Amino acid sequence: MEKLLSIPFLIFLPMFASFILMSPFFTRNEIIVRRFTKGFCGFHFLYALLMLAFFDSANPYTDKISFFGLDWIQSIGVTFSFNLDGIGMILAVLTSFIFLIASISSKLNIRKNHKFYYSMLLLLMASILGIFASADMFVFFMFWELELIPAYFLIGGDFSNETHPDAKKSAVKFVLFTFFGSMFMLLGMLLLHYYNYVMTGVLSASFSDIFANPIPDSIQLLIAICFLIGFGVKLPIIPLHTWLPDAHTNAPTPVSIILAGILLKTGAYGIFRFNYQIMQDSFVNIAPVLAVFALINIIYTAFVAYSQTDIKRIVAYSSISNMGLILLGLCALNQIGLSASVFHMVAHALVTSGLFMICGIVYLRCKTRDINSLGGIAQSMPRLFGFATLIVMASIGVPLFAPFISEILTIMGALFSEAGTALKFTSVFALPLLILSSCYMLKFLHCSFFGESENNYKDISVHEFVILASITAGLIIFGIFPSVILNLAGGQM
Amino acid sequence: MINDLFNILLPQTCLCAFIIIQLLCSMFLSPRYFRYARLLSAIGIALSTVLLSTVQTEPQYFGLKNSIMSDSYTLLFHFVILLCGFFVVLLTRNLIHEQKRNAYTIQALLLTAIFGAMNIVSANDFLTLFVSIELLSFPTYFLIASDKGYYPKEAAFKYLITSAVSTGVFLFGVSYLYGLTSSLNLSEIYEFIVESEPSLLYAFSGVMIVLGLISKLSIFPFANWVIDVYKGSETSILAFLSTIPKLAMFGILCRLLVFSLGSSIELTFVIAIVSIITALWANTYAIREHNVKVIFACSAAANSSYVLLAACLVSVYNLSTVIFYLICYVLMNISVFAFLNITDSNKIGIETSDFKGLFHKNHGLSIAYAIAIIALAGFPITSGFVAKIYLFSAIANSGLIFVPFLLVLLMLTVVALYYYIKILLPLFDIAEAKVLKTVYSQKFVLIITAAVTVLIGVYPEKLVELCRFIAYNI
Repeated sequence: MEKLLSIPFLIFLPMFASFILMSPFFTRNEIIVRRFTKGFCGFHFLYALLMLAFFDSANPYTDKISFFGLDWIQSIGVTFSFNLDGIGMILAVLTSFIFLIASISSKLNIRKNHKFYYSMLLLLMASILGIFASADMFVFFMFWELELIPAYFLIGGDFSNETHPDAKKSAVKFVLFTFFGSMFMLLGMLLLHYYNYVMTGVLSASFSDIFANPIPDSIQLLIAICFLIGFGVKLPIIPLHTWLPDAHTNAPTPVSIILAGILLKTGAYGIFRFNYQIMQDSFVNIAPVLAVFALINIIYTAFVAYSQTDIKRIVAYSSISNMGLILLGLCALNQIGLSASVFHMVAHALVTSGLFMICGIVYLRCKTRDINSLGGIAQSMPRLFGFATLIVMASIGVPLFAPFISEILTIMGALFSEAGTALKFTSVFALPLLILSSCYMLKFLHCSFFGESENNYKDISVHEFVILASITAGLIIFGIFPSVILNLAGGQM
Repeated sequence: MINDLFNILLPQTCLCAFIIIQLLCSMFLSPRYFRYARLLSAIGIALSTVLLSTVQTEPQYFGLKNSIMSDSYTLLFHFVILLCGFFVVLLTRNLIHEQKRNAYTIQALLLTAIFGAMNIVSANDFLTLFVSIELLSFPTYFLIASDKGYYPKEAAFKYLITSAVSTGVFLFGVSYLYGLTSSLNLSEIYEFIVESEPSLLYAFSGVMIVLGLISKLSIFPFANWVIDVYKGSETSILAFLSTIPKLAMFGILCRLLVFSLGSSIELTFVIAIVSIITALWANTYAIREHNVKVIFACSAAANSSYVLLAACLVSVYNLSTVIFYLICYVLMNISVFAFLNITDSNKIGIETSDFKGLFHKNHGLSIAYAIAIIALAGFPITSGFVAKIYLFSAIANSGLIFVPFLLVLLMLTVVALYYYIKILLPLFDIAEAKVLKTVYSQKFVLIITAAVTVLIGVYPEKLVELCRFIAYNI
C-alpha cells in the first residue's frame, strides 16, 4: 500500500493524462475526450481520498525524484522532493474534488477545442497539486510558474460560442499580475537560498533545511515582504486584486470554479508555508499589519460586491472578501486561527464553486448575467432555486453549514490571539462581515430568483443536479462534522 | 609553431582550409552549383568540431608566442560557437537561393566570421583580440548587406559605423593599459596588476576596454544599432548575429573580468549601471513595437544586459551561471530565428499580426516556436526557467547592495513577458492561415533546438555540472 500511494503518482498522473490528451494520436471525438477526462478525475479523486484515508499525521507522505542518481539541480541544492502534511493533504483532496466538479460541469459550457481544453485542465490540475506537495522552494516556484500557462489558455481561450470579447485581455492581465508577484517571490527565494547558504555553508533549497536554520531578523523581514507581495497577488490582498474580477467574470464557468475554488487557495497556502511556517520570527511582527489588510479585504470588497450588477462579479468580489477571512485566521497565529483558516479554505471552495455553478446555469438559460434583467427564475426552476437558497445561506454563515464554523472560529482565533491588541480590534471589526455578506448574497438571490417572469426556463439537468447536490452535501457534512478537517489542520502547529 | 598547430590550432586550421576552398569555388565554379555551398560549409564546421577532440586543454596551453591559449573554457566556447555556426549554415538556404551568384562567397564570409569568433575566445593578447574582432566584424557587415533591398545596406552601414567607433574606444583603453603595464599580453598584464596597487587610471582603461567590447552585445552606449540592424537583416543572418558574436564577446569578457580587469570596483559599478540602463531601455522600447524582429532585437539586448550584470559581479559561481545562461540562450534564439526563417521563406510578413492562426495549420512548428518563446520568458519545463533562476541567484549571491539591481531586472522580466505574449498569442488566434512549406534543414534546426531546450529544462544537472567544472578550472 505504501508503494502504491505516492506523491509523484498523484502529481504526474494528471500531467501524463494531459499529454495523452494533447498527443495527435488521441481521438478528437468530443464525447470520448470528455469521458476520458471525467473518468480520470473521478479516479484521481478516489486515489486522493485513499491517500487521505491512509494518512498518518505523525508520518506524512514524503518522496523524492532523482534523475539518474542525481538531484534535479544538485549543484545548487535543488531537489525534486515532495512532502504532503495535513494541510497539503486536505488541499490536495480538495483540488481533486474541484477538478472533478469542473470537468463534469464542462459539458454544458465548452463547445469548441475540446482536446485542448481538457488537456489544459489536467495540466493545471497537475501544477496546482505540485504547488501543494512540493518540499523545495524552486520546485514550488516551478509549479507556481507552470500553472500560468494552462491558466492563461483556460481563461482566454476560445472554448464556447459566447466567449467574452475581453477574455483574452483579462487572461493577459492575470498572467502579468501573477508573474509580477512571482518575481518578488523569486527574489525572496533567491535571498533565502543565499542566506541559508551563508548560515550553514551548504547550498540547499528544501523547506526543512531552511526551516531548521532561521536567518537574521532584519533580512527575514525583507524576504517576508517579498513573499507577501508574491502571494498577495494570488490571494488577493486588496491593492493587488484588480485582476481577479475580470478573470473570474470572463472565464468559462468551470474555469471560474477552479480559479475561485483552488487557485486563490494557492496564495493562502503560500503565505502559510513560507511566511507562517518557515519565517515565523518575522511573521509575528507582520501579522498585526496583515490583519488590517485582511480587514480591508473583508469590508471594502463587501461594499464593492453589493454595488455590482453582474452576478458573476458579485461572486468574484465575495471570494476576495472571504480570502480576507482566511488571511485573518492565519494572522491570529494560534491553533484556532490556523485550523479555522484551513477549514475556511475548504468551505469557501465549496461555496464559491456552487455559486459560480449557479451563475453559469443562470447564464446558460437566460443569456444574461445582469441582475436588473434577471428575476423570476424560481418560478420555472424550482430545483435550482432550492440549491441556490441552500448555498447562499451557507455562504452567509448560517449554522449547520461549513462556513459558519470557520467564520466563528476565525473570529474566536483573532480574539484569543496573542499577537497584539490590533488583532483583537480587527476581530471586533470583522464581525460586521456576517451582515455585509448577507447583504450582497441576499441581493444576489433576491434579484435573480424572486419576482415575476414570463420566460419559461428548463430546470437543471442531471449533470448540474449531481454537482450542486454534492457541493451542498459537502457543506452540510462539514458543517455538522467539522472535526475531520480541524484535527488534520491542527496538527501543524 | 608546428607544435602549436597540432596541439591546439587544428580546428581553426580546418576552418581556414574550408574558407579557402569556398573562395576558390566562388571563383572557378559555375553559379549553378550554388546548392553545394551550404553542404561544404556544414562539412567544414562538422570536421572542425570533430578536430576539437585533438585540442590540448590540460594543463593550459599557450601557443604562438603566448598570443593564443587553450583550456577547457575555450574548448567549450569553441564547441558552442561551432554548433551555432552549424545551425546558422543550415538556415542560410533562403539567402543563397536569392544570391545564387554569391553563394560560395557568403559561405566563406560566414566561416570567416566563425573563425574570428573562435579566435576571440582563445586570444591571450590584445593585439590578437583586436585582429580577431575585426575578423568577426568585417564579414558581418557584408553578410548583413548581402540580402536584397535598401534596408540591409542601411543596417550594414550602421553596424559598420558603430563597430568602428566602439573599436576606437576599445583601442583607446588598450593604449592606456599598455602605457601602464608596457605589455599587451593578458597573462603578463594580470601578473602586473596582481603586484601593483589599484589605480584610477587602470580602472579607466578597463572601463574603456569593456565599453568597446560590449558594443557587439548591444549594451547601452552603443545599443541603438541593434534595432535597425535586426530590422534590416535576413533571418539566418540574425540567427548568426544574435548568437555567435555574443558568445565570443562574453567568452573573452568573462576571462578579462576574472583576470586582467577584475579587481576594480569602479569597473563593476559602471558595468552594472550600464547594463541596468540597457535592460530598462530595451524592455520598455519593445512594449510599443509590432515588428517581431525589432522585439527580438530588444530581447537580445535585454538578455545581454542580464548576463553582463551577472558577469561583472566576478566570482566563479557567477561565471558558471553565465556560461549556462549563454548556452541555453543561444539555443532558444536559434530556434526562434529558425521559425522566422520558415515564415520568411513562405512570404509571411514580420508584423505580429501576420502570424495569426498559424498554430491551427502547423502544430509541430508552432509548438517548437512557442517552447522557444516561453523559454525566453523563463517559464518552467524549459531551459529558460533554470537559466533564469541560476543566473539571478548569482546576482542575489553577490551581496545585498545588488538586490535593488536584481529587483529592477526581475520587474523588467515582467515587462518582457508582456511582449513575449504579444509575439506568441497571434499564433493561437482563430484566423485564416496557410500551411507552411519547410525544408528538412529548417525543420531539423527548429525541432532539435526546441527539444534540447526542453531537455535541459527537465534535466539540467549535467550541463550545470559541466559549467561549474569549466568555471572552477578557469
